[in-house]
Order: sequence, then structure tokens, then C-alpha cells
Amino acid sequence: MVKNLRVKTSKFIDETYKISFKFNGTTYYGYKGDTLASALLANDIHLVGRSFKYHRPRGIMTAGSEEPNAIVQLHNNTSRTEPNVRATEVEIYEGLEASSQNCWPSVNFDIGGINNFLSPVLPAGFYYKTFMWPASFWEKYEYFIRKSAGLGKSPTKPDPDIYEHKYIHCDVLVVGAGISGIMAAKTAAKNGFKTLLVDEKSYLGGSTIYQNSELFKINNQVSSSWLEKEINEIKKFANLEIRTRTSVAAFHGYNFLLARENLTDHLPLDQRNNKTRQRLLKIRAKKVITATGSLERPLIFDNNDRPGILLSSAIEKYANFFGVACGQKNILFTNNDSAYETAISLFQKGIHIEAIIDNREDIDSKLIKETEKNNIKIYKGYTIINTTGYKRINKIIIMQLSKDGQKVVGSKKSITCDCLGVAGGWTPAVHLFTQSGGKLKFRDEDQVFIPNKYPSDQISIGSCNGDFTLNEILSSIPEILKDFLNIKKTDYDNLEVQSSFNKSKRNIWLLPSDKIIGKTKPFVDYQNDATAKDIKLALREGFRSIEHVKRYTTTGMGTDQGKLGNMHALGIISETAGSKMGELGTTTFRPPYTPLTFGTIVGRNVGEYFDIFRRTPIHDWHIKNNAEFENVGQWKRAWYYPKNGENMHEAVQRESKAARDSAGILDASTLGKIDIQGTDASEFLNRVYTNAWSKLSIGKCRYGLMLNEDGMVYDDGVTTRLDENHYIMTTTTGGAATVLGKLEDYLQTEWPELDVYLTSVTDHYATISVCGPNSKKIVSTVIPDLDFSDESFPHMSFKNAKIDKIKCRVMRISFTGEHSYEINVQANYGKSVWEKCIEVGKEFNITPYGTETMHLLRAEKGFIIVGQDTDATMTPIDLQMDWIVSKKKYDFIGKRSLYRSDTIKEDRKQLVGLLTENPDEVLEEGAQIVADVKKTPVEMLGHVTSSYYSPNLKKSIALGVIRGGKNMLGQKLIIPMENKQINVTVADPVFLDKENKRLNA
Amino acid sequence: MFIINCPYCGEREQSEFKAGGEAHIIRPKQPTELSDDQWAEYLFMRKNIKGIQFERWVHTHGCRKWFNVVRDTSNDDIKAIYKMGEKPPII
Amino acid sequence: MLNYTNVITEEKSFSGLQMKEIRPVMKLIIRGKKREFLSAVGKSLNLLLPNEANTSSRSENLTAIWLSPDEWMIYSNVTIDSKNNDYETENLLNKSISKKNLGAVTDVTDQFVMINMKGDKIFDLFETGSPFNFNDFRNKKGSVTQTILAKIDVIIHNQNQNEVNLFVRRSFSQHLFSWMNDSASRL
Repeated sequence: MVKNLRVKTSKFIDETYKISFKFNGTTYYGYKGDTLASALLANDIHLVGRSFKYHRPRGIMTAGSEEPNAIVQLHNNTSRTEPNVRATEVEIYEGLEASSQNCWPSVNFDIGGINNFLSPVLPAGFYYKTFMWPASFWEKYEYFIRKSAGLGKSPTKPDPDIYEHKYIHCDVLVVGAGISGIMAAKTAAKNGFKTLLVDEKSYLGGSTIYQNSELFKINNQVSSSWLEKEINEIKKFANLEIRTRTSVAAFHGYNFLLARENLTDHLPLDQRNNKTRQRLLKIRAKKVITATGSLERPLIFDNNDRPGILLSSAIEKYANFFGVACGQKNILFTNNDSAYETAISLFQKGIHIEAIIDNREDIDSKLIKETEKNNIKIYKGYTIINTTGYKRINKIIIMQLSKDGQKVVGSKKSITCDCLGVAGGWTPAVHLFTQSGGKLKFRDEDQVFIPNKYPSDQISIGSCNGDFTLNEILSSIPEILKDFLNIKKTDYDNLEVQSSFNKSKRNIWLLPSDKIIGKTKPFVDYQNDATAKDIKLALREGFRSIEHVKRYTTTGMGTDQGKLGNMHALGIISETAGSKMGELGTTTFRPPYTPLTFGTIVGRNVGEYFDIFRRTPIHDWHIKNNAEFENVGQWKRAWYYPKNGENMHEAVQRESKAARDSAGILDASTLGKIDIQGTDASEFLNRVYTNAWSKLSIGKCRYGLMLNEDGMVYDDGVTTRLDENHYIMTTTTGGAATVLGKLEDYLQTEWPELDVYLTSVTDHYATISVCGPNSKKIVSTVIPDLDFSDESFPHMSFKNAKIDKIKCRVMRISFTGEHSYEINVQANYGKSVWEKCIEVGKEFNITPYGTETMHLLRAEKGFIIVGQDTDATMTPIDLQMDWIVSKKKYDFIGKRSLYRSDTIKEDRKQLVGLLTENPDEVLEEGAQIVADVKKTPVEMLGHVTSSYYSPNLKKSIALGVIRGGKNMLGQKLIIPMENKQINVTVADPVFLDKENKRLNA
Repeated sequence: MFIINCPYCGEREQSEFKAGGEAHIIRPKQPTELSDDQWAEYLFMRKNIKGIQFERWVHTHGCRKWFNVVRDTSNDDIKAIYKMGEKPPII
Repeated sequence: MLNYTNVITEEKSFSGLQMKEIRPVMKLIIRGKKREFLSAVGKSLNLLLPNEANTSSRSENLTAIWLSPDEWMIYSNVTIDSKNNDYETENLLNKSISKKNLGAVTDVTDQFVMINMKGDKIFDLFETGSPFNFNDFRNKKGSVTQTILAKIDVIIHNQNQNEVNLFVRRSFSQHLFSWMNDSASRL
């Protein structure tokens, strides 16, 4: 039978706008303005899910983001599915489909419920203790435990939604738009501060906005009416930005906050296309005002978790805001005056209240008098000792509390009900404050933690600062704001407040029962099924630190992060262990305050924008000519150009052969290029490279190795002297930015006296390398006005040239060992020059080659690639490049390290060539090299760093590093592979043209 | 992420900068005269303090200038910022 | 004749935002520390280099933007001839700066792509990918910043009310422009 528990029109609900939605496959109706929770309650549905461990039936408990129980899966089995969503936060829309989690086959009949009856054998730490032994079995256990655990299901399809990031810089950020936040935002905005006000809800005004009682008045107006006027006023400020449905997830140092703004989750699915679903706001605020309010505490007694048991404040909100009665026979259980506010609200709406159980004995306040006037029975000095009703509460059993509150006395009495509201006092929501590094203090009189020391320019106001009554809030805020914003007055300096709240409270963390602790189930953490018994067990087993107890019992570790029960856990620990609450401290509140979707965190950094993608000026040509690309740093480099269905090997063999037989062309634009100018440029190069530079004549090029101070090879490249005080340095593709950074570092910090300026010109030039015996013919046709004779333009020299009217630089340098030219032309002409080379080179079968062929060709010549043949442990000596280390220079970066006791060791790993016994066998790069496979443990001598099949030598060649390799020339070694051993001989790393004849061919 | 007041460009977010380790470690003028131990002292030994630390930072994505920062490593509180070559403040 | 390649071929228009590459624009990086450097640049170009951080100066033909205490970028206010890359400004500076060892002059015309942006949504776009605080910047004509946009280094010059020139290294420019278009489509 579907009931309708909608009791009275609420202005927050649009009853003319009916919305249908599905819950566990059944269609229900609600109204615009409803949350999934309020709509379910209006349909008399409390049972929403099953608990994590015992699979106990659980219902809606709260009306906000602190909800531990009513978490659902949205749109199951679709690409938009989302697990662990709080029904209390989901605004319903046409087509919404929600289903219960953690139950099978259904929430009404859940096989896992058997755990509830097994609970005596499933105490805290059960999994740790039981499945620890034997250790090797853990993998098997884990499979089953994982299957039975876990709440929602993660989506298996790509997320169709769009997420964004947004940076916001403001003077004042106000978190929370309850009465305190509204007052703060208005005051800040009115005083000219660029202000941002955010609230996780879809509306402004917090809980005051539905406070319609005549007992709470501001300037003689009912508090909600007064606040409504304030809200209307703040909307007029141009310097005040308001963002609702925005939950601050994290409060970091330096007032950097992350917030999730929800933009489309309340819209029907068909209205969400091409819209941003959620935005991660990265907020930088000069000042932060936290007005996050407080959370009502539950009370801890036996079977306090049944569907139909809600926070008293939630029942009030459902009635006042949503116009929904949570039950027809309501009971409230309280230790303070809050429940009476609820009682009066319900009474005004005509919702029946069966009784109020108040654990205080001597109580007297306006609120209570008002309640008694309405003939509501109040049991003073009583406590609930148990409840009944499996899928919905149907009865409570109460007994009188002893004077000290430690036990129950007298006889049991049971009262039937279908809904129980619990009011255990209030906990300031200090989560964000502590995330920011704030230190709390414990206030003994009402047992709350409140902000004490602020680590940045921020302040907490209202009930998150421990001011719970309307009087306290309204009287403290103006003073706090004046001081914090450094202003003289506020609009609120002389407010007249009428509040009927009495602050008396009888705080008992674990209410006594007529049964012993082992026989009861007083839940502390609802979602994780941690009971008071588990906490006591942890203490008995020797856990003392609150952080340890948390992990052992899993208290506070659910998706709700224990927003409701953490304080009780602390209280129980403190009472049991006899330690003071203030000294015990709290567990760390970690971001996010409420869960974030991965999409929000990732934002637009997906797909095409996952990583940066740098293109050379010739990129489009490579694409047009079917190049396969390789990622080199952030660059896309042409890897090889397959023709007629060639595979990579075939293409590379063809390209390599063509480059040596006739002509090859390579796009080398990605090489780093640094323009060096200044009167001390030569001296600077002397200090940063291992070799000498002063005597390099103008127009000549030289190869250089750069080391770190520790003597290890860092980068290499050719540098050209363009003029007396002007050089152009090339670096490796990957090293460009770091080399420039390192050189600037030395110039600015170690050698500020040097007159040297560095400017990156990497992107300014396209670099086109033409190599092979026919390269001269091609390049001299492309640049007809230049003298290409060996006398005028020898190897390792440079010329300024012009192609048409475009200036360019031509270097005769070679990374392949072939006669080779490198044309550097302004990037926007690069493609045109390249095409010209291709066109002119046609008759010589000019072959574009990619990075793979480049690697092969240089390996034939034994040229290293920094980062492939070296790691950060190779000195130039290890590379057998002693020739490049100047003996004469007094100093250069890394020089001193070259004769540290460690770097001069004979048995360091050194670069050698490797030839396989079988010339067709190509080694695997990274393969280990050994001398003796029988010796155990097998001694690893080194590894293969580069390996190719050389079409020019018609055999396999490799480079590798081997301990003491320098003196092992000709020695036979073994490379053990998974199913074979490969015999190799240590060789000279230069495999081709040792005499460098080809350079001038 | 903290805010660093670049002595040249003004306040910028940390992501525009790179840290360069302990400050005021001067490269020896005559490395060749040093023993292995003395050179190792320069090369490897760093204080890595929990508390007030003098560090080098560079505004990589801005003016590319290096400068010094006095930072409390326990809470990222920046106590002072001064240019290269300037005397460290007494803190 | 060599062909001049356009890097960013499209002009994009959204409500409140238009974006296009302006080319060819001559760009030079000049660096120097000496006092004579500043006066020599001033004299030869009839343009005072901005001394103050994050600012720019402008003559009839050239704009100079501050990049660092010893580094400026000079760019031409109008487009130049794409058939010739011999720039008079560069030659003048070579004569008055490089030859006299007062500092460095480097042609970076193709190192950077200049994207011109117009409209009232420019800064909304920047806020989706840059940690820089544009609150004061947007109201200050001539202000300059070097910062990060979509993880890429950019130089932004506030040319006029609702008009900026954005400089990005050429190899990043197509990626950045694509990102900017994607982001702008939802502003």
C-alpha cells in the first residue's frame, strides 16, 4: 500500500510540479524541491539499504550530507551510474533511478543478513585475526572478502559527462549560507570585499530558513522571515558571488580551498548533454569565514539503528521544509532542548507525537512548557534501553536512569511507534577548520570541540564555532566580523533577539542498558557497523591511540567519515580508558568533506588534453605521409614511415639503408636550442662542458658533454660559434628545458659576474637534417648561393645562408656518421624547406626517416643517446669518452667528481659494443649480461642498452654497459633469456666506418 | 599549495615555481684542492630540517629568476624571501 | 618561393570571445643589465623599456613587454612581410646592443605564436586553466603576466579593455588553441 505522508504545503516544494522516479524498480512520485530521501519518506519508505558488515536493514537517518545509511546507487548499469550517493542530497528529477546497495537479492530479503546473527563471532578486527594465517592464503581469502564487502558498484563504461576546473580569487570566502554565513557575506560585500558565498545545498538560509516558530524572533520577526529579507538583499551586491550546490571538499594551507560545484545533477538526463556536470573550484581567498554549522548527534543505545530512527532535527526538516511526516506515531528521545523544537514544529503541522523521552530529570524551559501545553507526554529522566522492529521500528522500551546516569532502574515500559527522533546535542562541523591545520579545544560544559588556534587568516562563526542558540549566534557574529574584517560597524550591531532555547544538556555517551555490553548492539558508526562493544574490545586489546582504535574498529572510515558517531567513539574511549576528552584529541579529518567524483578531480585533463602534445613545424607533412609517431617528452616525433604495408622492422631497415646508400632526411626540430650571447660566452661554455671552447673559431661547431656536479653525464649536443660572443647550443630533445634551467641557475647563483645571456629558441627554428652520400647535391640545390666545397664548408662548420629572402643557418654536422647537413630555418618556413628537399632529393631517392632509424644509424657508429645508453650513473670515462674530458681546464661542472674514489674504480659499468654469435639474433634492450650461468647466485655484469639489426652491416649490433667492460674486449659473455642463452662477444662500440671516411664521402 | 611572493613578479601560486634545495651552499672556488670528503660535503650533505629552513626557489613559469625563501617546513609558513646575493635575514 | 605556414589557421568566435592568430608579428627577446643597455634601446628604437614588473610600453610601431628584470620582449604592432625575415628593428638593436656588448638580442618571431583575444569572456576562459589572479590585471591596461594556462607557459599582454594578446611557444600553440576552444565552447 502506498501511503502519502505529505502533510502540509511547504513553500520549498512545488506541488504543481510532479516528478516520477524509480526506486528499486518501482515507480514513485515526488515534487520539485524534494530530495530522494524526502520523496521516499513521503511514500512511507524508510528502508533504503543494508549495513556494511551485518547487512542490517537501514533507513534514512538525516536530511543532509552527513547521512550514513541511506546511500544508493544511481542509474545502475549505465555509463552515468554513481555509487554511494546520499539519498538525502539527491534532488529528484524526472527519470531518476536509484537502487539500494550492499544487498542481494533485494533490500527486503538480503542473504547477507545472516551476518547479523553471526555477529557474536564477527567482532572488531575479525578479518585481521582470522585471515592472517597462513600468510600465503591471504590472496584466496581476499577474493571472497572483497566479494562480500564493498558498497556500490563502480561504472564500467566511460563517463559521458564533462567536468571542468575553475580558479577563483576572492577577498573573502564564506563557507555555508546559513544565518551566520548570510550575515557574514552581507557584511563583507557591503564593505567592499570581493566575496564568494558557497553552500552545499540548493537553497540559501540553512536551517533557519524553515524555522517558523513564534518562539524564535529577530527584530520582532519570525527568524525565517527576517533571514529571507537578508537573503534578498545580498543577492543585489555586484561584488558578492553566490554558488549553491557547492560543497567545499578541502581547506588547505594558505587559504586554498577546493570545492565541488554541482551544475546538472538535479536536471533530467536529457537536459544534461553538452553541459558541464561538475566543476572543481580552486579557491584562493585572502580571508575565509567558515560558517558550516553543526551536526546533530544521535544517541547510543541498544538497536539504535533501525529504519524509522532519525535525527530529531531531520524529522523537523522533513516536516517544515519538505512538508513530509516521517511517521504517524512519532517519539522523540533527547538529552537537550532541541527535540522540543521538533515537537512544536510537528504539532503545528498536525503530526502526532506519542511521547518525548528526555534523559534529563529537572528541566524547565519555555520550549518544554509550550510542549506540555499541547498535551505531549514527556518521560523525564528516562532512557531507551532497546527497540524492536526488523525493517521498521515498531516499539521502544524505556527505563528510568539512575541519578548518576550509569545504570537503569525501575521497571521496563514499552511504547509503540513508527518513527523515533533522537537528539543528542550538537557537534560543531569543524572538519574544514581542522583540515586547514587549525587546532581544537574541548569545551567541557557541553562536551564539544571548538576552534581554538587559526593557522591562517580565517575565522569560524555560528554553530561551527560552538554558538548553538540564536542569541549566542546573533550577539557574537557582529563583534567577530568587525574584528576580522577590520570594520567599525555591521548591520547587526543592535539586533533584538528572542530565543526560547535552554542550554541544559545531560550528555551520556553510551546510554546504560539492563543488559551487559556484550549482549547489546549500540551502534556508534552506522555505515561500518561499529558498536560500542567493538570500541571497548579494542581498548581491552590494548589499543589506546584514537587513530589506532579507528583503524581497528573501522569507526569513522565509511563514505560518511563518521560525521555522526565520531564524537561518541571518542567519548566511549575516554570513559573506558579514563582519559580526558580534550587530551585524547580527535582523529584527523581528511579531505574531501563529502565524496568527490573522479571526474571532478580530473576535470578536462582527459582524452586529447590528458597530456600536452607538442608539434614540430613539419608535423602535418609527417601525418600526410603516414608516419607513425613516438612520444619523446611532450613531443610527437615521427618514428618511422611505413610504406606499402611494411611493419616497423621493415620500414626501419629500408630507411636505414637509404640514408647510407643515398640520402635520408630527418625532422630534428625537437632538439633543444639555446642562444648564448655575451662577452663571457666562451668562458661559460668552458665551465659547463667537459671540453675546451675558447679556441673554437667562429663558424665552427663542436660536440660537448655536460655533466652534473657528481660527474655523471647529463646532456650532450653540438654547439656552434656564430660570432665572437655568440653561440647556439643544441641539447637533447628531452633535456631542453632542464638544461636551460640548470645553466640559468649557475649564471644567476654561482657565476653572476659572467656577462652571458641565454634565450631559448627551440621553437623558433625548424631543424632539417639531410644525410647520406648525396646530401651535398640535394642541399646545394636547395641553397644554390652557398659554397659547399669541403674546403669552404668542412665537417663541423656552419654557414649563414638565404633561401629566397629567408635567412637560415646551415651546419655540417652528423649524428649518423654520414656526410650530413642540418638546415635551421625559421619555423614557419620549415615545412616549405623540407618539401623542397624532398622534391630536389627525389632523383636520389631521398628517404624520410624517423627516430627509430636515427637510433639505429647512430648505434652503428657507437654514438650514445643520453638517457638510453646512460642513466644518472655514467661518467664520460665509463662511456669510453675520455677524449672529450679536458685535462687542461682547471674546472668545469662535475670535474672534481671524476676522480672521487668511487668514480675511478676499475670495475664500474662501462659502455661496450656487443656482437652476437648468431648475426641474425637481435638482443633485447634491458637484457642482463652474465659471464657464468652456473655460479649461484648468478652474477650480473651489466645490461644491454641499445640493440638493432643493422642492414648496412648485415648483422645484429648492440651497445651495453658491463662492469669493467673496458678491459674485456673480445671476451665471450652470456645473455640468459627465458628459454635460451645467447652468446655474445664484447666489441668496440664503433661498428661502422671507424675511420670516419663517410663524413666526407 | 602555497603562495610565493616572487621578489620580481609578486605573489604567485606555488605551481609556477620549482624548489632548488638548501640555500647558501656555495660551490667551492677550487674544487681540485679539496679532499674527497670535503667535496662530498659540498656535493651531498644537506640539512633537511623540520622547522625553519633556508631554501632556493626559481620562478620557472614566470621571470625564471632564482631567489631565497625562508620556510617553516612543518607548516609551509614562509618567513622571508630575499634575492640571490642578499644577506639572509636573522630568524 | 618558400611558403609561409600558418600555425593556427582558424579564427574562432564564441559569444563574448573571439580568438585568432595574428601573423607574422616580429618578436625579439632583448636582455641586458647595464644602464647603458636601457638607454641604448630607448635611443635606437625611440621606445622606453618598461622598468616596472608586469608592465609594458608602446611606441607607434613597437610594443615592449617586461619579462624579467633583465629581459623584455619587443613585438611589432602591425604584421610584417612574410617573404623576408630581415628585420630593421633587429638590425638596429644588433648595432646598438650586440656590437657594443651591452646585452643580447635574439629573434623569436617564430618561437612564439601570438593569439589575439577579444571579448568580455577572456578572463572567464583563463580562470578555467590558470592559477594566476586576474582580478587587478584585467582592469589595468598594458599589464603583462607570464603564467600557466592549461599546464602550458604563456605570456599575456592586456592590450585594451576586453582585448589581450597571448603568446605561447609555437610547438604548444595548436594544443593550447584546441584546449581554449574546447573551454570557450562552454563559457
